[in-house]
Amino acid sequence: MKNLTKKLKADWVRNRSLYILVLPVLAFYILFHYKPIYGAVIAFQDYVPRLGISGSEWVGFANFRRFFSDIYFVRLMKNTLLLSIYDIVFGFPAPIILALLLNEIHNRFFKNVTQTITYLPHFISMIVVCGMLTDFSLSTGLFNDIIAFFGGKRHPLLQDPTLYRTIYILSGIWQQVGWGTIIYLSALAGVDSQLYEAAEIDGANKWKQTLNVTLPGIAPTIITMFILKIGKLMSMGYEKTILLYNPATYETADIISSYVYRVGLLDQDWSYSTAIGLFNSVINFILLILANKLSKKFSETSLW
Amino acid sequence: MTKTKKALKVKRSRGEQIFTVFNYAIMIGIIIICIYPIWYVAMASCSDSNLLTQHTGLLLWPEGFNLNAYTKVFKNPMILKGYLNTLFLLFVGVPINIIMTSLGAYFLSRKRVLFQKPIMIAIMFTMFFSGGMIPFYLNLKELHLTNTLWGLIIPFMINTYNLVIMRTSFESIPDSLVEAAQIDGANHWKILFSIVLPLSKAIIAVMILYYGVSIWNSWFWASAILRERQLYPLQVILREILLQNDVSSMSSGAAATDAESIAMSIKYATIMVATIPILLVYPFLQKYFTKGTMTGAVKE
Amino acid sequence: MKKELKRTAALVMAASMAAGLAGCGGSQPAETAAAAKAEAKGQETTAATTEPAAAEFSYPMEKGDPLQYWVETTTTVSANFANLGDTPFAKGLMENTGIDIEFLQPPQGQQKEQFSLIVADGDLPDIMEYNWVSDYPGGPEKAIRDGLIIPLNDVIEQYCPNLKKYLAENPDVDRAVKTDDGNYYCFPFVRGDAELRNTIGLMLRADWLEELGLEVPETVDEWHTVLTAFKEKKGATAPYTFEYTNNQYLGANPFVAAFDTSYSFYIGSDEKVHFGAVDEGYKNYLETMHQWYEEGLIDADIATMKNDQVAAKITNGTAGASLGQAGSRMGTWLAAAQKTNPDYDLVAAPQPSTEKGKKAEFGHVEVAYSGRSSAAITTSCKDVERAARLLDWAYSDEGHMYYNFGTEGVSYTMEGGNPVYTDQILKNPEGWPVSQAMSAYIRGNYNGPFVQDERYLEQYYTMDQQKATPKVWGAASSNGAAHVMPPITPSSDESKEFSNIINQINTYRDEMTLKFIFGDADISQFDEYVGNIEKMGLERALEIENAAYDRYKAR
Repeated sequence: MKNLTKKLKADWVRNRSLYILVLPVLAFYILFHYKPIYGAVIAFQDYVPRLGISGSEWVGFANFRRFFSDIYFVRLMKNTLLLSIYDIVFGFPAPIILALLLNEIHNRFFKNVTQTITYLPHFISMIVVCGMLTDFSLSTGLFNDIIAFFGGKRHPLLQDPTLYRTIYILSGIWQQVGWGTIIYLSALAGVDSQLYEAAEIDGANKWKQTLNVTLPGIAPTIITMFILKIGKLMSMGYEKTILLYNPATYETADIISSYVYRVGLLDQDWSYSTAIGLFNSVINFILLILANKLSKKFSETSLW
Repeated sequence: MTKTKKALKVKRSRGEQIFTVFNYAIMIGIIIICIYPIWYVAMASCSDSNLLTQHTGLLLWPEGFNLNAYTKVFKNPMILKGYLNTLFLLFVGVPINIIMTSLGAYFLSRKRVLFQKPIMIAIMFTMFFSGGMIPFYLNLKELHLTNTLWGLIIPFMINTYNLVIMRTSFESIPDSLVEAAQIDGANHWKILFSIVLPLSKAIIAVMILYYGVSIWNSWFWASAILRERQLYPLQVILREILLQNDVSSMSSGAAATDAESIAMSIKYATIMVATIPILLVYPFLQKYFTKGTMTGAVKE
Repeated sequence: MKKELKRTAALVMAASMAAGLAGCGGSQPAETAAAAKAEAKGQETTAATTEPAAAEFSYPMEKGDPLQYWVETTTTVSANFANLGDTPFAKGLMENTGIDIEFLQPPQGQQKEQFSLIVADGDLPDIMEYNWVSDYPGGPEKAIRDGLIIPLNDVIEQYCPNLKKYLAENPDVDRAVKTDDGNYYCFPFVRGDAELRNTIGLMLRADWLEELGLEVPETVDEWHTVLTAFKEKKGATAPYTFEYTNNQYLGANPFVAAFDTSYSFYIGSDEKVHFGAVDEGYKNYLETMHQWYEEGLIDADIATMKNDQVAAKITNGTAGASLGQAGSRMGTWLAAAQKTNPDYDLVAAPQPSTEKGKKAEFGHVEVAYSGRSSAAITTSCKDVERAARLLDWAYSDEGHMYYNFGTEGVSYTMEGGNPVYTDQILKNPEGWPVSQAMSAYIRGNYNGPFVQDERYLEQYYTMDQQKATPKVWGAASSNGAAHVMPPITPSSDESKEFSNIINQINTYRDEMTLKFIFGDADISQFDEYVGNIEKMGLERALEIENAAYDRYKAR
């Protein structure tokens, strides 16, 4: 006990100005992150604005039960998970592959140009990207012009529920792949060049070098990024979805966050909307902890 | 012995040569895919709209070049207002972002601080757990941050992901420098602002770009908290123009458009107007950029 | 000092009214209380004219704090003005009434979202213009009970002689603008004349019809023939297209009506409320549309069609028929297309029926008061009198002219007893199209809390093709008026249940309708579809609606 007080005291003496320095940051997190988390108690209420959080009636888990018995529950879960999983399967490796390929380009000028150009789509706002996608997907749009050029049949792409996820994921890759390479390229630059020399002496070809030197070299980065991604598994944003979907594609397009948006903002069912959001957060958090545990066990890389 | 090695090398380089050709081809393909949609929009924006609506297939050059669409876009009184508001958000918001993020990153990058780990975990926790849209909004309202541009700056001062990157970068600054300053009696404020930050130009450039892009492109919270049209940033105006077709709650009689707004090229011109400035910023920061992410991102 | 007193009085009054107390509290400053009494008396004793009120009260009012006024954004305004407050209309309104207004406006297409957030935090603007009947979950009575807006019965009695007079003269409107409990809740947007209630209808290429030797189609079969001819002979790849993403058009969809049903609730000939999207007629509609879709007669991109794309298609010959308003659609398209193709012509087609010569039973006709764009005073309003006076002015003779025609000598002149728009409107020097020029000076051409005047429409329709539409569409071609839903509202106890049910049903209907049309779902699954809707609680929803309708009739 005495030891602890002593420790605290020593820490205070040593780091006082450091703690003062971080105060605004802590205030920010408390005010804009933790306070809204407290505000999420309306998920357990029948929130009425006039009565406020303190005066609204408590309903326990009624809003959660309502969500589990919602006729769209299964569909929303399925769509959210599938979209996320496709995003991980296709979207996650894309920048890694591109980074590896870029790493093999030795013409500095060409490499720079390629990098710069692949970054471009990242700067374009979601609104513009979705506006372009909607236009290009029309049966008279650019994509169909290309399909027709190769002898395909014109087809309104964004009206087809079976194509929705493909369009969503591909456009996501288009927008983020170049930008995503940044982190891997810098990890690649950090791989010890002596290792390559050693591999070369051992007679390893490029492919073997990639497998045995490069990938292990950037593995910590890949795993960290992967854990972060898993933690966001269920939190596909609503922005892109509400800009892209229409009743014809609800079947595959409607995800939890877009449903939260419709329920909370269009139907004014605030408590229900918050309950669904909260459920989503909890699932994410559990996934994150699991992923981190597994990673710790198998690769010794961990977020904390 | 030497002979076999040589043979091996030749063989390998032939495989490599093929790979290199393929690699370049793939890169060129990617370049085209990344740039063509933007090119298409650029060309469409300076085309004659009548010809444009009849056009099918790839658009390599403008159809009947004219810049009427741009004239019309700039005649829209909201575009200029939107620009000014967005610039305000950038010039006020980004410095605040940088300062706040540096404070947090500096704290987290120090060694031998007792409460550092719990604070780190508490901060990371917010990346994955949030109260949701409605509680967040109600909180803003309670703090009087609605219907003001500050409501788009203060609640978004720190992006946790960026904070983590910046911390990593600060960790790479040699401890000896900091300790020497401490011995000289400098406090942490001084160390941060006169030693750490000047050494971190690259990561700051990265942060400017990260925060800048997100401010430039954000629209949802702007459309949620702003009540006065004079305050709208550019993206909200852009969204109105791109989706102005939503006139569901408008009266019959005269509603949405008139002859002139049929012009599809206006849509594309607006996109260009809202996109080009942010694209132009990038080359200026690029010099620092590659360097910055190197130091920042290697280790999570 | 006097101003102070007045404000306190208003505060006290607002408080007592919110508590549901009639009349005035005893502790009010004598001066204002007496005035209010005298005013009320004056109205009782004199015949229905506005004169007596004017004796004690006259515009403009004394200066005071500005009122916050939340109103959705209209494209024709935002094309030239950053804010409604910058228009000559708003400036003149403030000058005429002496009341300063601070306009708060959501981004277009985001009004529901923003409204929802404003309501969630409970700190409201003084006045909010909204569709309290259909867009506020639970309807106006619930909005009052939620403590969002105030009941206006006493307010109208005390401060609104003009609205009171209008409602007394128009019992139909009077019945529509109050709740089942007899509470007035808004300053309504009223389509004053029948001609203003059927502005949406079908139209098609007249020049093509003539060239192909075809008549304007009157039945679904004739439409099939015409669209097929457009496709085969005129090369139209999307013969029929319309702005499917716009709910207004979905509600007005003439091809649903052709099969004697509606896509949502309607009043049946048995005087009961029915849900159209489960009717046999709806099945026939889906079957027909699917067939047309397969044959390429309907735009393949229909589900994502927006206004600008429809405009492009109908003007460049990709499409030959569409659905829309005579003003903002037909007029716009004609003007645009005739620039490059002088022969281009559109003609309005009547509501189609299934049998030749039979007048269609259903069709798009609006009611005088639908709930849309009606202004309510919120519980946050501190100066109810000012808000009420501001809104009441629109229903005075002077205000009526101002809302519909603007300022005499600037935007209109009187000729032979009728207002005629000046060139400032019709040939705007800035080069603005008529609708934009109108929106600068009046609200008559879109919406708002006032009574719309048909004399605006007569001048707004500048082309003969437009002028013909009132006689072709709406009441002239169908008995639709007998089936249209009046602004009924569920009771506040049932409202949450009702909106939960109907939100689910609507989402499902929208989705399945497209699936049936595109053939992603086979029409043999229609019974299953109906079964699902019933499982979602359709019967309960109809029960609630029928009870609400009975209460409405009993008002």
